[in-house]
Amino acid sequence: MHPMFRPLGLVFACAYAALIVWTYAAQPQTVAEMTGGLAAEVGAYRIHQQSFDDGLGFFRRDLFEEARAAFARADPAQRDARTQFYIAYSYYRQGWGRVYNDDALFKQGLEAVDRAIALAPGGRLVVEDETLGMSTADELRGELQRGLTRDASDLNPLRVFGTRK
Amino acid sequence: MTVAREAVLLPAIFLTVGWLGGFRMAESVRLVPPPLVTLALAMLLVGCLARAGVLQPERLMNSRRTALENLSGLVVLLSLFAACAQVFNLVTPETGLLHVLFSLFFLVQLLTTLAAVRSRVLMLRGLAVLLGSAFLIRFVALEALYSTDGGTLQRVLTVLMEGFTLGALEYAPNAPVTGYVAFLVLSLFMAGLILLTDVAEPSDLPHLPASPDVPELPRSSSAPGLPESPTLPQLR
Repeated sequence: MHPMFRPLGLVFACAYAALIVWTYAAQPQTVAEMTGGLAAEVGAYRIHQQSFDDGLGFFRRDLFEEARAAFARADPAQRDARTQFYIAYSYYRQGWGRVYNDDALFKQGLEAVDRAIALAPGGRLVVEDETLGMSTADELRGELQRGLTRDASDLNPLRVFGTRK
Repeated sequence: MTVAREAVLLPAIFLTVGWLGGFRMAESVRLVPPPLVTLALAMLLVGCLARAGVLQPERLMNSRRTALENLSGLVVLLSLFAACAQVFNLVTPETGLLHVLFSLFFLVQLLTTLAAVRSRVLMLRGLAVLLGSAFLIRFVALEALYSTDGGTLQRVLTVLMEGFTLGALEYAPNAPVTGYVAFLVLSLFMAGLILLTDVAEPSDLPHLPASPDVPELPRSSSAPGLPESPTLPQLR
């Protein structure tokens, strides 16, 4: 038997065990999430730039469903903070209303911005884009959370003069 | 037993069992880590396996082996423990009264086995029956009873059962693929245990000196002091 068999077996077992622990911690839902997550762990994950640019174009034309489809294509593993920020922003803009907000969309936006914050180094995410009213994930998160909160300010008639950010 | 089996095959089998043992698929995929009770059950099962001779820890780790060989043996033992824990996690319902009942049943069964079973073959047979029965109850009977596409009679039966137990009998059904994965996992686990038996060459065993308290048996067929057994007359 080759003398390297046993050390190689040990390395294999340790790597396999690490993969198992990672999958239990990360709970990936799809194969794309799993492979993307593993690639991100070793710093090899890249978004699909063309799809991201398409998504950005749709987003700026207020075509939010199309934008999210393109962003999902660009970041199938949901491992890129900036893409997740734009996805959350698309939920915010689509769900925002002068009289009332769409809670379902805001909740999905909150989930996406939480993912973005979790992925950003140190939890701080700033997106330099002059077309956006909010450039940080914290602002966006606050806005989404305020939209989901029920309080007396919801009855304020001046609310109809508010602007979408 | 080859080095390949000990260093690669057995860890691969047991780690795969440990990985897929927590697999549940319903509306989404979940990987369920083992609860504490399954760790206790796994410890008992490893004890049972060692007492019955299915697992021979002294062949996996001893002072005659090199550090690398002992490390390799330790990996087998740890992966076996993880597999045992996940096998119980797999066949035990996750919440409610059923979780408690299944866990208690496994505990009593393993204690009985620990006290009584000394044979490798009997141990493997008993374990196959135990895990097979639990698989059938959980992934055939309970899944059919609690499936979401059942008819009115089934729903009435489920509501009655939950009513009798004051809501303690709760069960969350899984997609059919979970049952297939469970079958694969249990088959792999049993295959791993069969392969585990002859895990090391006899030459790996330390040659322990005979105990001074136990006198060596005479080499002759009859004990000293007893008359030689008479030879039977040949029949013509």
